[in-house]
Amino acid sequence: MSARGPATGVPMVFAHGFGCDQGMWRHVAPAFETTHRVVTFDHVGAGGSDAAAYDRQKYATLQGYADDVVEIIEALGVPPVVFVGHSVSAMIGVLASVARPDLFRHLVLVAPNPRFLDDEGYRGGFTDAEVDELLETMEGNYLGWSATIAPVIMGAPDRPELGEELTSSFCRADPAIARDFAQVTFRSDNRADLPRVTVPALVVQCSSDALAPLEVGTYVHEHLSGSELVVLAATGHCPNLSAPAELVAAVHDHLDRA
Amino acid sequence: MSTPDRWDAAPCGLLVLDPDGTVAAANDQLTTWTGLAGDAVGRTRFGDLLSVGGRIYWETHLAPRLQLEGRLDEVTVELRGPQGRVPVLLTAVTDPGGPVRIALHGAAERMRFERELRSARQAAQQWADRVAVLQTVTAGLSRVSTADGVAQVLLAAATGPLGATSAAVWTATADGLRLHSVRGDHPTLPTPDVVGTGEGAVSAADGTVQVPLPGAEDLRGVLTLAHLAAPTPELDLPVLTAVAQQAGIALDRARLHEQSAGVARVLQRSMLTAPVQPDHLELATRYLPAAEDAVVGGDWYDAFLCQDGTTWLVVGDVAGHDIGAAAVMGQIRNLLRGIAYTQQQSPARVLTAVDQAMAGLGVPSLATVVALRVEQTPDDRAAGVRRVRWSNAGHPAPVHIPRHGTPASLTTPPELLLGAFPDVERTDHELDLHPGDTMLLYTDGLTERRHSDLDTGTRWLLDTLGRHSAERLEDLCDHLLRTVADHLDDDVALLALRAHTEDAPRPAEAGPVRLPEDHPAT
Repeated sequence: MSARGPATGVPMVFAHGFGCDQGMWRHVAPAFETTHRVVTFDHVGAGGSDAAAYDRQKYATLQGYADDVVEIIEALGVPPVVFVGHSVSAMIGVLASVARPDLFRHLVLVAPNPRFLDDEGYRGGFTDAEVDELLETMEGNYLGWSATIAPVIMGAPDRPELGEELTSSFCRADPAIARDFAQVTFRSDNRADLPRVTVPALVVQCSSDALAPLEVGTYVHEHLSGSELVVLAATGHCPNLSAPAELVAAVHDHLDRA
Repeated sequence: MSTPDRWDAAPCGLLVLDPDGTVAAANDQLTTWTGLAGDAVGRTRFGDLLSVGGRIYWETHLAPRLQLEGRLDEVTVELRGPQGRVPVLLTAVTDPGGPVRIALHGAAERMRFERELRSARQAAQQWADRVAVLQTVTAGLSRVSTADGVAQVLLAAATGPLGATSAAVWTATADGLRLHSVRGDHPTLPTPDVVGTGEGAVSAADGTVQVPLPGAEDLRGVLTLAHLAAPTPELDLPVLTAVAQQAGIALDRARLHEQSAGVARVLQRSMLTAPVQPDHLELATRYLPAAEDAVVGGDWYDAFLCQDGTTWLVVGDVAGHDIGAAAVMGQIRNLLRGIAYTQQQSPARVLTAVDQAMAGLGVPSLATVVALRVEQTPDDRAAGVRRVRWSNAGHPAPVHIPRHGTPASLTTPPELLLGAFPDVERTDHELDLHPGDTMLLYTDGLTERRHSDLDTGTRWLLDTLGRHSAERLEDLCDHLLRTVADHLDDDVALLALRAHTEDAPRPAEAGPVRLPEDHPAT
């Protein structure tokens, strides 16, 4: 976990999604450091986190991750926070705010998907067999990763801004934990939690996102009372990397008006 | 060859993506693999060319990494195409805000090979896990000698590496299977079906697993497992069967061990008879076995009246912890009784005579012992005192607790163990015993503790006796044993004597006088 910016600023907590770590926010979080107390962290099993803290039982549901978020915010001992969650962490933030609304001032949900699997009358985008396929793809790559992760990291000489410490941990995950995280991410159904949110929310949706289709973003917006929906021109699932300026502007705009 | 020819003739798939991830150009190999029509270029995102799993992986892992690091090497993904899926190795480079250049190498052979490697690795890991479980169980079973011990090792393995949330051990008795012990949160593990407990571990329809524990000749018990922890893979029945075979043999061994220990106990207890209760002397005895039930010590206590009317107190400890030690204890006890009864000599002389008898009769052991005689001359009697005379063959010193005063350990210069040599010089020691005084004879199990030395134990004993000396004799003994019972490493034998005044009737609290019926003193 790291915290930057003025201690007196309204705290902003950035939570990374499935697949990477807090490095995902490196082009977004600094934009708020002059006005806010900015906190980024790695979920257990990702990046620089302590894999020994992983408890299979606890993290078998997203609630386990949400409990961690509550614990982090409580430990900060700060006033209610602006929580910015990407992808699965958007739903983790939803669960945390339902458990402890007193800790949250705003939710910013970037590319959320409350249920990835298709269901009757709902299109999440994926089938059960396709999630199995993802697990297989991940497994196939861990075999390669074990030997090649180091050269991959060293092979970015033209990007000196990536500190060595950061690159050496970036996107590195414990394979067994990553597999569990994929399961819980893609097999959870948190649609019923949306109406229980009492904190104002901004839903940020990309215009073409294979993991969170437009209709899913609309679904989230419609089930979060008093929420605002912003559709970015950006495409893909990671506007925090592909269009950080547009994402920053949308968040600024929302917070200014709130 | 022109540049477009080089691009299209390359033996690998080549792609250029716009910064937003849209395919801007693709070479012939790529369009062959994916069936990407020329007019779809410019409208298709790279993820759309991949299998769904690959697409999620691209969006969540690969694209972010590429954005941040500028490069990806040798990543495995699958293309979707008219001929089915094409496994490829992906290498990609990009600059901030610039296009993404991707090269894809066909990797079908390599993927087959890696899949074989993966399954070989999984199989190897499974075997390694199996061997580790077996090793743990075998090591655990080799350290235990009782059915309790076997059950605890089994339950620990079942609810640990074997992955059950609850497990129970049933042991075979003459009346069928009896629940021995349970671990875990399952309230009612079903009674095993004895008919079905023949050949190896069996999964029942209700999700529980029954594992017979076969002995050399018959079924020794059954292990049942239930409620397997959710993410744990299925139970490994061959490993369970192997564990069960080990456990069955361990139960056989435990039964033999317990039978032999039981015989030794009976033999030992037959020697530990109720003490005499002569006149105004009150005696109390205790015997507390060590925690490990199968171990029988060679400790003993004895109290008897001699022909001349003197009262003898003996506490001893034979080296060894088996049925042999119990048998030798019986021999030494009876030699000492017989010699003391007929010779009417001092304790030192009686012990020397026992040394000689042990040598001459070939009693093959060593023992520590304190022999103590309570005497009274007519003058003593007139003065209202008694005298104790004792000799100590390498045994913990007796304790004297004056009625009004501080308990003292009656330490004397050490003398050889009983049975060491036939001609040892032994010494008598004596002390006046006043009405209300107490003597305590004990074996070292009372004061010896793991992780602490004998001095610490003796200090504890004297301190405890000092604080409780006013209690009734039986209560005092109970108090001592209660304090040590939880952490006993060795058997404890206790013999306590309290002298009551002869000017008054024997107090009620001392209980009735008890003497052998045909004793000359009765």
